[in-house]
Amino acid sequence: MNVKNHLLRFILFSFIILYCSLIIVGCSSFFTRFIAKSFEDLPSSPDTVASKITHPIFQNVGLSVLWVGHATCLIQIGDKIFLTDPIFTETAGMISKRRIEPGILPSSIDKLDYILISHIHFDHLSYGSLSMLPKSAVMLMPAGTAEYLPEFGFSDYREMNPWTTFEADGVRITAVPVKHFNGRYGFDGAWLNHNTFTGYVVEYKDKTVFFAGDTGYDPEKFKEIGRRIAIDVALIPIAPIEPHDFMKRVHADPKEALQIFDDVQAKIMIPIHHRTFVQGLDSSLTTAQNQLKQLVTKRHLDARVLIFNVGEQRILAP
Amino acid sequence: MMFLVGWQKATAQEHEQRSGISDSWLIMQAVPSISWTSFPAQTHFAFEWEATPVLYSWGMTKLDPPLHFFFVTQPERFAGSVEFNISTQLYTSQIETSYWGFSGQLLAHLPLVEHGEYLGLNFGVARYNIAGATSNYIVGGFSTLFGFLHYNIKFSPVNKIWMHSIEFRFF
Repeated sequence: MNVKNHLLRFILFSFIILYCSLIIVGCSSFFTRFIAKSFEDLPSSPDTVASKITHPIFQNVGLSVLWVGHATCLIQIGDKIFLTDPIFTETAGMISKRRIEPGILPSSIDKLDYILISHIHFDHLSYGSLSMLPKSAVMLMPAGTAEYLPEFGFSDYREMNPWTTFEADGVRITAVPVKHFNGRYGFDGAWLNHNTFTGYVVEYKDKTVFFAGDTGYDPEKFKEIGRRIAIDVALIPIAPIEPHDFMKRVHADPKEALQIFDDVQAKIMIPIHHRTFVQGLDSSLTTAQNQLKQLVTKRHLDARVLIFNVGEQRILAP
Repeated sequence: MMFLVGWQKATAQEHEQRSGISDSWLIMQAVPSISWTSFPAQTHFAFEWEATPVLYSWGMTKLDPPLHFFFVTQPERFAGSVEFNISTQLYTSQIETSYWGFSGQLLAHLPLVEHGEYLGLNFGVARYNIAGATSNYIVGGFSTLFGFLHYNIKFSPVNKIWMHSIEFRFF
């Protein structure tokens, strides 16, 4: 009995040591520093977007893009409306607080044909935001993510493998490979046995838009996309940047974003995935944007790299 | 149980894009959850290992099959489900003559906020065996923080015993 009790106490003591070690390691980790940064200088309310567009859908337009914030873009090509990685909620997950309002109200989107989900992280697959959107849409997502998707009542759901194409009513949407990381809750990334992240190329009425979602730089993948499809507009993430050694594996910085722009051979680039939430350990919300501006000026790309304000809409083809 | 594990692996192979039981998942399951349970007389801290032999989810899209054996994602559980789960508790202090507790639960999960990720309600029945004594309980509680944090009240109608537990659950 004594031996048994000693053994049990040894096991218990071992677990207590294990948990204490995890807490100590956790407190010094990037994740903890990120949490601390998320609460740094936390405003009571997010920055406002002046003169929000209330009717973002045109009767008919060649190609328009409205940057709602983060990776959320409302794209209209002809009569079709596409929305990428919608997030309208006050936080991403329960932790990261929005620092600027969404560029439009979700209620302004009275027609929606397709929702493109790049991956299952909280800032890209936002349950609360999906609940706010018109149910007429078809939702596309990376293969293997259905086990993370509750029913929202959309008209259809499709999982997409890289280089597979969804076609309907003249619209072609191709899932394209990008470089990111798996999981939604942290631990689950360890046992997802396939890549649950993707980019998309949307083709309709001779217009082509590439949505990179959230990605690090991978020359082979992006050059392959450029070889296969002629792209008009590329929506490319530029943040977070710091800590650079960690981030460069899964997030493109502004310099790498411009390299992606070159590789896919797009005519126009619109930077996304910045300014909206605290991400990584970037010194400010505008760090990435400022770096991109400097690079764009230096390379004389002002006419091709269009840096939108949150809530700004531009008609790129009438 | 081995049959079910094998079936799950076969199913995972048939649908190669579905996650399933894997070495890394099994290793993570060996890491116990931690809980504090308040019995009538005292509060006990415990490490807890849990398994879900079967869960039926009704809150997911048509792309996700409703029946799950052992391998369950948080949305499958918290977006609306009913499950049978078993667990073993290792208490850090002795209860009567033992450090061990065993339980089986039939639980329903209802989503309240953000499809259950932010807040979910659960209720059901449980059978506990602690230090050789078996009792049946009615269970009710809440989960939050993406299903990581749970608070439950358990009541034994026969013994008129109330138990409260707070659990930090790893998956």
